Amino acid sequence: MELRFLKPSILAGISGLELVAKTVVDGFIAGLHRSPDFGFSQEFAEYRAYSPGDDLRHVDWNVFARTERAYLKRYRGETNSILTVLLDASNSMKFSSHSVSKMDYARFTAASLFYLAIQNQRDAAGLIVFDDEIRTYIRPSTRQGQLHRLLSGLEQAEPHARTDFAKPLEHFQQFLRRRGIVVFISDFYDSPEHIVRTIEPLRFHGNEVVLFHVLDPKEIRPEIGEPSTLIDLETQDRIEITPEYVRDEYRKKFDAHVEALRDKTRAAGMDYHLLVTDRPLDDALREYLSIRQGRD
Amino acid sequence: MGLLAPWFLAGIAALAVPFYVHLLRRHTTTPRPFSSLMFFERRTQSSIKHRRLRYLFLLSLRALLFLLLVLAFANPFINRTAANMNSEKLQLLVIDNSFSMRAGTRLADARREALSVLSSRRPTDKAQVMALGSQIQVLTQPSLDAGALRAAVDNVQPGDSRASYGELARAVRSLAESVPTPIELHFFSDMQKSAMPGSFSELALPANVSLVLHPVAKEAAPNWTVESVNAPGQVWDPKKARVQAVIAGFGTPAATRTVSLVVNGKTAATKTVAVPANGRATAEFQSLDVHYGFTRCEVRIDSADSFPADDEYLFAVERSDPRRALFVSDAGDSRSPLYFRSALGSAAESAFTLDMVSAGEAANQQFSKYAFVVLSDLISVPAQFESALLRYVQGGGSVWIAEGTSAAHTTRVPVFGGNILDSRDYSRTSDRYLNVADADPSHPSVEKADRWSGVKFYFAVRVDPGDARVIAHLTDGTPLLLEKKIGEGNILLFASGLDNLTNDFPLHPIFVPFVEQTALYLSGTERRSGARVVDSFLELRSSKEQSVGVKVIDPQGHRPLSLKESTSAQTYQLTSAGFYELQLANGRHDVIGVNPDRRESNLEIIPDDVLALWRGNSGVGTAQAAAGGSAQEQTQPYRLWWYIMLLVFAAAIAESLLADRYLGAQEQEDL
Repeated sequence: MELRFLKPSILAGISGLELVAKTVVDGFIAGLHRSPDFGFSQEFAEYRAYSPGDDLRHVDWNVFARTERAYLKRYRGETNSILTVLLDASNSMKFSSHSVSKMDYARFTAASLFYLAIQNQRDAAGLIVFDDEIRTYIRPSTRQGQLHRLLSGLEQAEPHARTDFAKPLEHFQQFLRRRGIVVFISDFYDSPEHIVRTIEPLRFHGNEVVLFHVLDPKEIRPEIGEPSTLIDLETQDRIEITPEYVRDEYRKKFDAHVEALRDKTRAAGMDYHLLVTDRPLDDALREYLSIRQGRD
Repeated sequence: MGLLAPWFLAGIAALAVPFYVHLLRRHTTTPRPFSSLMFFERRTQSSIKHRRLRYLFLLSLRALLFLLLVLAFANPFINRTAANMNSEKLQLLVIDNSFSMRAGTRLADARREALSVLSSRRPTDKAQVMALGSQIQVLTQPSLDAGALRAAVDNVQPGDSRASYGELARAVRSLAESVPTPIELHFFSDMQKSAMPGSFSELALPANVSLVLHPVAKEAAPNWTVESVNAPGQVWDPKKARVQAVIAGFGTPAATRTVSLVVNGKTAATKTVAVPANGRATAEFQSLDVHYGFTRCEVRIDSADSFPADDEYLFAVERSDPRRALFVSDAGDSRSPLYFRSALGSAAESAFTLDMVSAGEAANQQFSKYAFVVLSDLISVPAQFESALLRYVQGGGSVWIAEGTSAAHTTRVPVFGGNILDSRDYSRTSDRYLNVADADPSHPSVEKADRWSGVKFYFAVRVDPGDARVIAHLTDGTPLLLEKKIGEGNILLFASGLDNLTNDFPLHPIFVPFVEQTALYLSGTERRSGARVVDSFLELRSSKEQSVGVKVIDPQGHRPLSLKESTSAQTYQLTSAGFYELQLANGRHDVIGVNPDRRESNLEIIPDDVLALWRGNSGVGTAQAAAGGSAQEQTQPYRLWWYIMLLVFAAAIAESLLADRYLGAQEQEDL
């Protein structure tokens, strides 16, 4: 699959989230046309025998004329969904070891999802930007100009303060009307138990919950050659660390954290996906479509 | 333990570099932001200690590296005994085969002792055999082959050269530079005192050479010899030829010796001389009756000593008709022809008949038939006469010009070509006369002159010497005797007259040898000599006689020169005693008698204290130790720089690995 237009370093050079999203999605779809795995809302999927109560509008009358049997024509993704993106805008999302910070990558991901949902799937999409408070809320809608509102909300989202999952979820539940797809984009610097316990209630409402764990490659494998002092971007705490610790202990702990988060989210019926900021965005889009397809 | 180059220790100052890098140049780090510290643990204390320890270890390693480098350059050594050193050594056997080794059974004793040393050497030790005369002769390469080594020793033949221990030391010094193993030098010789060099320092041997002396003569044997013979090389009147022989005794009591003059193998005359104890006596033979051509002669004594080889002295004599010389003077000059003829006639060895002509008659002469031409104080020289003389000189002739008072009327010296600056009449000055200030004794004309002491010069011509060689000066700096080469010939200019008006030289006895030697020199006879010394060099050709074949037949009847050498060799070294037959490049046939250097006849041996000093100077070694087949205990500096460089190499690798481990990751991070 040709992914060269989806590279984050290239996207970082594009001004405007809409253009970024269009570039990503168009490139992604162009790749999918050669893929047998996924379809879109107007794409024919199968015939199903008519059963009483089915909407007659979906009966394929041409087939009925030839065979005198009523079959319903089924399309993929023909049902409308609601996509809500919860974007973590805490200070830790500022971290970057190359041209694309975690926040940028999260924006690109969210923008691409919105574009794909609104332009291609005609789904309703909403956005909640949060740190320890709700910073921005754009309720899901399919109205004209919704995509621009969402992208504008993304562009205004700047990292602040610390992460607190409890408050945005509490707020989110207030506005929850219909079941939909809830996408969490965060670096999830909290204990996996707390994260899952906090997010898990969403699943009880019938939502498909996806956790996009955005991490910088140097967060996963830091390279520190000498004893150094590190400053926590959220708490401003300082700590002296040794290369040996980073090389051995830190990596073990971090891998265990990621593993635990993946296991616990999946155990709770949620999807987990690790996004590394030096890798293309198509993983996130593929995940979204996969879930979208599963809801049909 | 010591240092061969301690001044390199100043390099220890370079230790400041790692100390500066590690201690003075503080390592600073800037805090780095990170997403979250939830996976980090505070290990400040341990990390700092750890860091310091590690950097101190790296510092120590770097300091050690510098220190080892400095030490390696200072070239440390330890003194080790020879037994502890490399067990391999080279046994160098040098057998003296100089002329004096012919005395008694010296050479046989030396060979026997050398074979004894060879048989007692360890099988792992290489040995090399050389012979010492005036030069070192390499008989074998370093070898373990006992058969080849013994054969080389057996084949050492007595020579006629004069031994030079200085040459031995020089050759061993040169050898020691190319041989890595210690050298045990066994020297088999009669330890003749006359073979010692002028300076004892010339005997110094390198540190890795141990000298073991094997004297084959315990004491000086009395010896009589014919030390020298004074005989003419050319004889034209046998009745006037005189042969003088000096009989010398070295370490001998007073005795009467019979001296024989042997001509072509037959005793021609016999004399009896009384030789004083440890002294010299002269035997003189009044005539030398030889036939025309070359005759091989010798003077022989009945020494009845242990060294009969030096009881004879060889020389060759050529009998020929007297050669002709032309004396040209002005008609009015009667003094100079008289004095010149008298001096030439009085000379014992002069074989010249003098033709006296005036300047006017000389123009019609054929100069090529004369051995040399004398121009004595000519007022004027006709141009035709001068050009003919010039051609004669360029063709190889010789002219002797004496400038008397007539030169005051001319501005240049004929044929010679030099300008006359002025003429000086010293009789009018307060000094009234001048003497000779200095004379070049290497020139044959003044060789026997003893600076012409007492000779008064009243008149002299001051000539611009130009490129001429000045042989003698007067006390006011005026060149008195000058020589110039024109073409193949010589011109000798005497800046005063040959009469008793311009000087009183003709009245002195030394005028005779002056005239005689100059005549012999100008005629070329001087270069011929009936006797030479072994190891001297014979000039085979002049610079103008290239590519002309020469012929040398040695005393054994062999032709030592190859065909190529006979056309190209400039000189030939006379290596053995006897009669040599020569045919030189100028076509002249010659026979010369070659005798060993008579210093070899003095069999006095080197005192024991000097020998001990020589041994001590080269390390330690004694004949007794040699007989046992092992060198004495001695200490030798053993250099350690090689091992230190290995440590430097190891330290450098350790430093690289450690520094890469500590600092490499930091560089990656910086990138």
